[in-house]
This record gives sequence, structure tokens and C-alpha cells, in this order.
Amino acid sequence: MSSGLSLAHEPVSKVPHGKLAMWIFLASEIMFFTGFFGAFIVLRNSNLELFSHSAGELNKWLALLNTFILIGSSLTMALSILNLEKGNTGKFKLFLGLTILCGFGFLIVKTIEYSTKFGHHIFPWTNVFFSFYFLMTGFHAIHVIAGMIPMTFMFIKAFTKKGYNHPVKVETLGLYWHFVDLVWIFLFPVLYLIFPSH
Amino acid sequence: MSGHHPDSDAMFGSYIRVASALFGLTVLTVLAALDWVPKSWGEAGNTLHIAIGLLIAVVKAFMVFYIFMHLKFDNKFIRAFVFVPIFLFFVLTFALNVLGP
Repeated sequence: MSSGLSLAHEPVSKVPHGKLAMWIFLASEIMFFTGFFGAFIVLRNSNLELFSHSAGELNKWLALLNTFILIGSSLTMALSILNLEKGNTGKFKLFLGLTILCGFGFLIVKTIEYSTKFGHHIFPWTNVFFSFYFLMTGFHAIHVIAGMIPMTFMFIKAFTKKGYNHPVKVETLGLYWHFVDLVWIFLFPVLYLIFPSH
Repeated sequence: MSGHHPDSDAMFGSYIRVASALFGLTVLTVLAALDWVPKSWGEAGNTLHIAIGLLIAVVKAFMVFYIFMHLKFDNKFIRAFVFVPIFLFFVLTFALNVLGP
């Protein structure tokens, strides 16, 4: 282009288009989860006893383990981007692989948690607390899976002859992955911890 | 890269420090939720539990936004995408708690 304007970047913000689009998407995601949190707050305040009793049924230690796993995965994701930018493809693959493993670990722990609940005959229709518990953690788990799919694709591509050398794309996926961690940072205290009987 | 990031060694140090802080604050969240508030405090104790739990979560969230998601180094324009919905989140929370049923 004669103006020298790079099509790869949005002209006002000078941010790569993909990254800007991801931020717009994440803004809509914040509002998406805000709806759930808002509804949860209203129902919690009007059914405090039911919510406190039901939250007591949850395994907060498994949730704590999952919090550690997700924070660890955020760290490995950040390190994988850092290493790709430095051209250190070996460490990029190592940290990206560890991030995928953490994602699997999170889903395994969540599966254990869900299956224990089902074993105790606790289902989404048991009461309004568990409706929200399964809805919010379920949507969060879907987000984890949605992040792992392109991550696995990048990981596999990194092992091909051509390799994978698109730091901005990995950084954009990283934004999404950190957001998934962020949602869990709020879900953990709101669902598992902040009740009078705890 | 769109922003002016510090060099990669400095970034590595920042990531490790933030991750350590996030692990520490997670433990603090669990400890803060234990039954340490005297029963006589009643509703105020309940509110204190919620306030501490959410305050720690907000601090953790800003660490993730600013360091892991590079808001500290990226174009300021991007911050609008975080602050506008967060502002709406707080307006909603306030409205539901104070003005709601």
C-alpha cells in the first residue's frame, strides 16, 4: 500500500487484527459470564441457607487442585509464547505440551468431581444451586476444551518439517487461555468458598 | 508484537513472580474462607468473608490481565475492552446487592 499502512495491524490501535478481535471477543465473554454471576448473586442472597448447605457438598480441595493446575497452565502458556518469540522452538514445544497436559489434568479432575456428584444423586435439576454449579463449571469446561483444540493443532504442527512460527497467533490463543484461567479465579471462591457455613 | 515489552529475561522473571503470587493468593483465599470470624459478628462476618474472597480474586485477575495478558505493555486502547465490561459487572453486582430484592 502506498500509505505504508500495514494491513496486518488495525490503524488506530496498531494492534494485530487477530489480537484485537480476540480482545473484543473476550469483552463479550466477560459479559457472558457476568450474566451468570449476576443471576447467581440474586439467587444466593434470597436462598442463603440452601446455597450454603449445597456448597458444603462440593469438594473444595479438588477445586483448589484445579485452581493450581490452571494457574500452572497460564504460566506454561506465557513461557511457550516467550520461547517462540526468542526462536527457542524446543522450549516452545515443551511448554505448549505442558499447557495441553494441564488442560487434560483440569478436565480429569472435573470429571472426577462430576462423577462423584452423580454418584451421590446430585444432578443439575437437584436444586437451583446445583443448576448454577453445573451450568457455570460446565460452560467453563467447554471453554477449556475449546482452547485445547487449536493448542493441540499448533503443537502437532510444531513437530512437522515446516514447524510453527506464528508468535502472534500463539499470543492470541494465550489471551484466550489466560481468560479461561481468570474465569476460574472467580468461580472458585464464588461457588466453593464464600458461604457462612464455610 | 504490538507493545513495548521488556526484554525476555525480565518477562521470564515477571511471569515466575506473578505465578508464585497467584499460588500464594489462592492459598490465602482458602484460609480466608475458614471459620475465623466470631459468630457474634452475624451478617457482618458473612459480608467480610465475601469481601475478602472477592478482593483477592480481583487482585489475582488484575495480575493475570496486566502481566500474563500483557495489558501493562500493550496499547492503552486495548484496556477499554477490559475496563468497560468490568465496570458493567460492578454496576450489575452493586445494583443486584443494594437496589435488588
